[in-house]
Amino acid sequence: MLKAIKRFFGDRPSGQEAKKRMQFVLMHDRLDLTPDMMEALKNDILTVLSRYMEIDTDTIKVDFEQGKEYTALVSNVQVKRVHRRTECTR
Amino acid sequence: MAGRTIVVTSGKGGVGKTTTVANIGTALAKKKHSVVLIDGDIGLRNLDVVMGLENRIVYNLVDIIEGRCRKEQAMIRDRKLGNLCVIPSAQTRDKDSVQPEQMKGLCEELAKEFDYVFIDCPAGIEHGFKNAIAGAQLAIVVTTPEVSAIRDADRVIGLLEASMLRDVHLIVNRLNDRMVKKGDMMSTEDIVSLLAIPLLGIVPESEDVVVSTNRGVPLVHDRNSRAGTAFQGIAARLNGEDVPHSDGKEVGFRDFFRKLFSGQ
Repeated sequence: MLKAIKRFFGDRPSGQEAKKRMQFVLMHDRLDLTPDMMEALKNDILTVLSRYMEIDTDTIKVDFEQGKEYTALVSNVQVKRVHRRTECTR
Repeated sequence: MAGRTIVVTSGKGGVGKTTTVANIGTALAKKKHSVVLIDGDIGLRNLDVVMGLENRIVYNLVDIIEGRCRKEQAMIRDRKLGNLCVIPSAQTRDKDSVQPEQMKGLCEELAKEFDYVFIDCPAGIEHGFKNAIAGAQLAIVVTTPEVSAIRDADRVIGLLEASMLRDVHLIVNRLNDRMVKKGDMMSTEDIVSLLAIPLLGIVPESEDVVVSTNRGVPLVHDRNSRAGTAFQGIAARLNGEDVPHSDGKEVGFRDFFRKLFSGQ
């Protein structure tokens, strides 16, 4: 009964929760990326992006997403201003 | 033609590797194939008790490898089936007594004489695991619907692929259909989508397994056991037969009649 009430208030079944958690855990196990490597990746993305645009470096987020057939890297960052062509520093 | 060498592995301990080896092996022997089961867990001997052959051990796997006996001397013939043998592991030796190359050689020799060679892999991913998979052409990964077992299974699948063992199949053991229906257990589909390897079979959770190991008589000898029937299905599929998966659902009275009249 208590369970039924909990479900009613949006508590999802534990089986689904296990699946979601495992998707995340297995993805990270398979990629075998250390926190250090993630940090380095984040910094490299920032360096490349800032050649082309002015960005808010504090807002960057790098995450992995598991699709059915693929693993995607999703990165979000706030763009302040795009450099004009002449300013583009290579 | 040479026989097939199959390793049964899982990463995590206690998910049912030994029970799986004992039951699939016995089921195939009942189908008149010649079968040998190797206990690959050196130092922690188990397969012999599950098969009910613990009183008849004279020589073991390490004795064969180190040349103290011929391999025929270490093989224990099953009490009921003359075409089924078990090679017990050594109880008092450690895992380093055997090297992967030696296991590979032994498996190759056995495959010349038997239709099926099964290796019961120890838990873990160290030396014993490497020995157990060295001579195998096909791997069966056993998991239960629990997060820890699934995570370890995924790790093992990765290691098998890295060892160039690409023919890997999944058994989901101890599935509780009642809990899956309530949403409190991951379903077989969930597990298959997570691990992304082909499904070989589903074994329902059953008290029969404990009873059968208590007696040392594999479940496949019992016609009324659902878990036993599941193991028979797995053996048939390994043998190339097309047997549909039963997802461990209890067949109720109503289902029975519905099936009877729809002619399924």
